[in-house]
Order: sequence, then structure tokens, then C-alpha cells
Amino acid sequence: MSTMRTLAVVVALATAVPTAAEPPLGLPPVPIPADNPQTEAKVALGDRLFHDKRFSADGKVACSTCHDREKAFTDHKPVSQGFRNLRGTRNAPTVVNAAYMKTLFWDGREPDLEGQARQPFINPVEGGLPDHEPMLDVIRKDPDYVKAFKAVFGVEPGEITIDHVVKAIAAFERTILSGNSPFDRWRYGGEEEALTEAQKRGFEVFVGKGRCVSCHVIEQTQALFTDNKFHNIGVGFKKIRGREFEVAREFIRAKRRGADVDKTVLTKPEASELGRFAVTEDITQVGAFKTPTLRNVAVTFPYMHDGSLESLEDVVDFYNNGGRLREDDPVSPFLSGGIRPLDLSDQEKKDLVAFLEALTSPEYDRIAENR
Amino acid sequence: MNRRNFLKTGLGAAVAGALPMSLVELAWGAKDSERFTFAYISDSHITQIKGNRFVRNWDRGLIRAVAECNLLDPRPDFVIYGGDIAQLGKPEEIDHGLEIMSGLRDKVHYVMGEHDYYVDLGEYWRKRLGPDWYSFDHKGVHFIVLNSILTYPEWMHRKWDSGMARMKEMARLDNPNGSPFMVGEEQRKWLARDLAKVSHDTPIVVCSHSPLQKIYKGWNFWTEDAEQIHKLLAPFEKVTVIYGHVHQIQYNQLGNISFYAVMATAWPWPYPNSYAQADSRLPKLTVPMNRADPFFERDATGWQFIDVHTGRADVHYFLPSNSNRSVVFDERRGHPVDTRYQELAARIPPQNHY
Amino acid sequence: MKRSKSNRWRAGCVAALALGPVQADEFTQQDLERWNQEFMEVVREGDRLFHGGFPSKNTVSCDQCHPNASNTHPETYPKFQKQLGEVVPLWRMINWCIQNPLQSEPLAADDARMTALQAYIHWERRGVKLEPGKH
Repeated sequence: MSTMRTLAVVVALATAVPTAAEPPLGLPPVPIPADNPQTEAKVALGDRLFHDKRFSADGKVACSTCHDREKAFTDHKPVSQGFRNLRGTRNAPTVVNAAYMKTLFWDGREPDLEGQARQPFINPVEGGLPDHEPMLDVIRKDPDYVKAFKAVFGVEPGEITIDHVVKAIAAFERTILSGNSPFDRWRYGGEEEALTEAQKRGFEVFVGKGRCVSCHVIEQTQALFTDNKFHNIGVGFKKIRGREFEVAREFIRAKRRGADVDKTVLTKPEASELGRFAVTEDITQVGAFKTPTLRNVAVTFPYMHDGSLESLEDVVDFYNNGGRLREDDPVSPFLSGGIRPLDLSDQEKKDLVAFLEALTSPEYDRIAENR
Repeated sequence: MNRRNFLKTGLGAAVAGALPMSLVELAWGAKDSERFTFAYISDSHITQIKGNRFVRNWDRGLIRAVAECNLLDPRPDFVIYGGDIAQLGKPEEIDHGLEIMSGLRDKVHYVMGEHDYYVDLGEYWRKRLGPDWYSFDHKGVHFIVLNSILTYPEWMHRKWDSGMARMKEMARLDNPNGSPFMVGEEQRKWLARDLAKVSHDTPIVVCSHSPLQKIYKGWNFWTEDAEQIHKLLAPFEKVTVIYGHVHQIQYNQLGNISFYAVMATAWPWPYPNSYAQADSRLPKLTVPMNRADPFFERDATGWQFIDVHTGRADVHYFLPSNSNRSVVFDERRGHPVDTRYQELAARIPPQNHY
Repeated sequence: MKRSKSNRWRAGCVAALALGPVQADEFTQQDLERWNQEFMEVVREGDRLFHGGFPSKNTVSCDQCHPNASNTHPETYPKFQKQLGEVVPLWRMINWCIQNPLQSEPLAADDARMTALQAYIHWERRGVKLEPGKH
């Protein structure tokens, strides 16, 4: 028992991220799929795979390129850059607490972390591999990997598949959890002094006039800050404004001819703006994107699915104006019914930003300090 | 792919979360010339606050329905608007609503609602949109539009302080001093004459604002002379009635008539059984819509896409912030069924209204 | 000990009966009727506020979504409301509705209008069993 605890502490120190089964303050237990149980060896293997740049067409791009621990598992770029610096269409969401997400990617096109991990290697603007074979070749010829896959999955080199790879990566990602923010200590830890007065006022705005809590969920005993649903909040609609019909029709026709959703939405800027529609073909979900968590939001800039907003002040203005940055910008006809002008005062806006800054977990504090 | 197979595979899977925009292409055979679609938008309740200020929530509902309807591919043959475009029947409200509707790419046929009518007995509405009862034929189907929100002349022509006073009485759904809706004798005579020209094997689609059936009188989910209308429609083999007013999913089968209610774009009404002090008769067939989260102003609102085939109408409900629904006519059972939730075991907690 | 206390209480009751109707907790049929009238007066005020009497800044009124106060479920409070992120009593949700669909200023918990709204909402739901926490 004491050995295990020591081990856990050592691992935690080594990675600066808790790996213990007990979730951090403010978070529920992590859901673990029955067919991919967590083991320490699997997590370690996943950690190594996650950081391996050889799994890309130019040997320079790993998962960690866009999900960098030093940047709270984002890349601090508006949209991600893959091999040969090719640009995609979407902002890299943080891996932190992705373990709780019910769907993955901004449009939820994959149901779990395993499914998500499969895609970037072979996306033409990310890893750029033609298929998973080249990376499996690398793994099968690397003696350390061979040993690790044998130990974790009991497979011989010839039996290693992409399924094993993504299971290990997902297991690693399920350890990247962050709670224990000043907000958590105040709300769930009983530390009255953990928040400043401005942050406390900002919390009132968050659950009241700001109308934030309905999508960025806070509950009585835990807070994931996401509802795991998809909403059109008005971001990016100007790119296809007035041409939604043509863009949607073209996308559907290409999809019927066999076009891959993952590749299409990341390479075609207009198709990207269709959001959840690209996955479900439901016309009530045009331009709808998944609610991201707000944990560590102050250190995961820039914001929105297209990285179009640079600061939290801009984000607050965007919502305050009812889904647009400026008051005289047009309103999307597809706008979610949850979005409307908020009439926040300058003080309320400042307080709200202060509250959002209270959602940073201690392991990422230094990013905020260095910004 | 024939229709039955399509329902089993394509539609069943698609409706689970969504309705593909290209549904129509998939469902149609080129040889099937009598198959067509139309869209149905209803109950927008555009409300003037003052001057050019209108209630944003209701505006956004209609704006969104129009924008979504414009994404249908291929285009529906036409759109029907099911009534209550205005809240208090003001010309400003009707004008503003029609301006939003003008964004639609398609021709629209309008139905009169009580919120359009009681301030001036429909005068401004008719000035903008023409007669409030009429019929037309489309690809072998006879469409009839009724003004079903008339009432007893004694109530209508009481000594009111103003038309607006009368409007406000009728606008309150749970008003104990209201008066039941009816089609009335004049219109029933017209209907009888209109139907006399139609052969009994011609499919009939009737569009009314109030339910042409009696569900709950207290909220006027009711038409006083419903039975007399049923009698006029009895000789016809295939009759479909589509109505608004109730702001919720309802469907039913009474004899030869299939009933479908359409959603409002503005807000949902509760089901009458959730009023504990009175009895009501929601059709047993109906699997209710999901209960709404009022934060999402469009939740439990929506619009419809209607697929007409072999003289029957399948109603596909587009429900923003919620799962879409499809209620289709089941030939074997002889009544409408929900494609996903009809069996008791398939129902989900949000459908429990109490 | 316990028994002797109980006996003393019983003895007190007997004594009170003998003394006649001057005890503070005794009331008559007329009292009941008057108190009920007092209550119904507040219900009527709540009814009025509920049906457009509340000074709503955007004209929207409670009854537009809740005819006869249906679908308000006073019998289920306190309960978790996701719109507020915690377990709340009914009046907090009434204020949510006032601030959001009605886009108006919230009421204090002990504001007479808040009492009236609750009186009307509960009255329309009379006879339904309590189910706190139910969604």
C-alpha cells in the first residue's frame, strides 16, 4: 500500500499530472471503457506514443505537437499546423479532462478517445500518412515498443495493430486530469478565501446574467464546464453566410461519393463551418460545435473552433453581443436559442473574466504567469 | 430502393439523431410522379414590444425555421404556414412576420390563427394574404385550408371596449372567459360544396389552426363542430388533417382521418394532462415531444417537412436543441406511428409529462 | 421520566378543556373560512401577476408557457436546476424565468409578489403529492 502510494507520488511528480485513481477536487471519477482498462504500463506506452514524431509524413509531428503539455495540451495557435506546416481549419482543443467527453473533436465525429486518436496520423493536413501502416512499421521495428506492446497487450510485433496503439494513447490521455483550481477549492473545498471578491462576483455573473452555466455545466458536487452538446453560437458563420445551402449540398454530395468527413472538414474551410451537420446531416445542427470545457481556459488561448478570438475579454464581448464580436455584426439565422445579448456592464464583464481565470489548475499556473 | 426498405434502413437509422437533407432524393423513385413534399411552419407569435422592437425570442424562432427550411434539398413543392404569425393581430406584427417569411425560397399558403384574427376579425390578414378559407389541388391531392378559429357570434360580437380587448381575451390560452373554436355553418356549407366536386379516392389534406378534434376544451385544444367536419370528410378514402395551435407533437387516427399537429416556432405548450385540476384527452397514439429546457429558447419548438406518398402524409419534425422526430402513416396498422418511439419500451424519460 | 412528562402534558390538556375556549391554538369554522379567503386573495393576485400583471419588460408573461401554471411542478422543489447549477427552491426558478424569458428584474425571496406567484402556482397544483428532487 505504502509502496503504491510512493509510486503514485513519484509518477505524479515526474509528469506534474496526477495519475491516481482518485480524481482531483471538482471532478467526477473518470469513465474507463470496459475493453480498455487502465494499467501503468499501458499509460507509459501511451505517453511515449503520444510524443513520437515518427508517426508523421515528415517525421516532425506528434500528438504532442498540437497538444503540448507546456501549453496545457494545446498549441496556442488559431488553427493547428501539421506536417510541412500545413494548416487545418480548427483550433486544437485541450486534452486536459478530455477523458470526460462523450464525443471527440469539435463536431463530435468520433465517440471516444480511441476513435479520435486514430485520425490525425492519416489526415492530409496533420500527420499526413497515407494510412496507418508506416507508423505500425516503425513500432514493429523498435525493440522498446515491441517489448512494451508485448507486456501491455501480449502481442507479437506482427500482431500489433492501430487498435493497440490508440488504446494506449487513450489510456494515457485518461490520466491527463485537472481540477483543484481556486474555483474548486472555493466551491467544493470550503475555502472561502480561494477566490477574490471579483472572482466571486464573476461566478454570480456566470450562473446568472451571463447565462454561461447552462452549457458550461456546474453541478452541486462537480463541474465539467461542458454539457457535451453542440450549439451554434455564431462563430465562423460569416464564412459561409448566404451560401449555406450550396456548401451543405456540395458537402453531402461529396460524402455520398465517399468523401471522408475527417479529411473534408479539416481541409475545406467552408465545409468546416457546417459543424455538427457534417456528421449527422441534421439541418438543425448547421454551424453547431461542441461545448468545450472551461477548465484552464485562461491558458488555452486562442478561443472558439476556429481560434478566431484571442482573449477572454473578446470571448465575453462576443457572448455579450449575442453571438458576435461587434454590436453591428450580423446575427446568424442558425444561432442557438441559448445565445442572446446579455447587457453586461463593464464591471460584470471584468468580473466574469476574473472568474474564468480562477479555473486554472495549479499545474498550469505558470502558463498564465508567463503570458 | 422501395419505400418499405427505405423506412427500415435509411430512415430508421437516420432519424435516430437526424434527418438527412437528401432524404427526399433517397426516398423517391423517379417513376413515382405522385410523390411530393411540402414544408410546414406555424405559430410564430411575432410580438411587438413598441415601435420597431419585437420580442427577440419569437423573431429568432421564425428566422431559424426559414433558414433551415431553405436548406432542404431538393426543394419542397411549397410551404404551408399554420397560423398565429402574430401575437395580438397587429398590422405591425403581421407585416414583420411576413417580412421574415419572405426569406423563404418557396410559395407559401397561409392558415388563419386566432392571434391573427380577433383584433379586427381577420381584416388586415386577409388584406395581406387573401381569403382565410380555400382549396387547391396539387399532384393529385386536394388541399383544403379552413379558418377553424371562429367562435359563437354572441361572444365574437359582444359589446367589447375594443377589438384589442377581444383579442386579449382570446389570446390567453387558459382563459375561463374564452369561447370555443369552430369552423361554423357558413364554412361547413362551403366545404360540402367544395368536396362535392372531389372523387372519393382523391387524397384529402385539410389544414386548420385548431385541432379538428376534441382534446381539451379549457385551452381550446378543441373545435366545437369537429364531428360535423368529420362527417363531411367521411366518404373519402384517405384524409389527413394537419393543425397548429397546440405547440406540441400530437397525432391520432379517427376513422378515415389521420391527424398530425405541428410545432410552434415560438414556444412549446405543456400537454393538457399536466394540468392537475381538469381531465383531458390526449390521443393515446401520441408519443409526446420531449420536455424542454427553457434556457434553449428553441428547445421544443420547430417546423416540419412533410412527405406525401400514395395519398398519405409522413411528418418529419425538425427540432432544434433536441432529437428530430418522424411520424409516418403505417399502412398495416392503419394509423400514424412514430418511427422510433412508438412502442412503450422505446420511450425515454423526457417524454414523460406530468 | 418520559412517562411523567407525558402525563403532565395530558393533565394540562384536561385542565384546558375544563377552562373553555380561550386557548391560543383553537379556531373555529369561521376562522378557517376567513383564513382561506385571505389565502385566495393572494392566489388571485398571483393569478393576475402570472397572466400579464407582472411588469415584464418584453411583454412575455408566465402563462404564455405555463397555462394554468402547468409544467411548473411546485411539488418537486427543492430540486437540481441545471439553469442555476445547484439545488434550488421554487422561488429561485421563478426568478430565473423572470430574468430570462421575461427579461425583467428578479424579486426578493420575501417580496409579496413572489409570495403571490407561489400561492397561485401551488393552488393550481393542489392535491398532487410531494416529490422533492424529481425532474
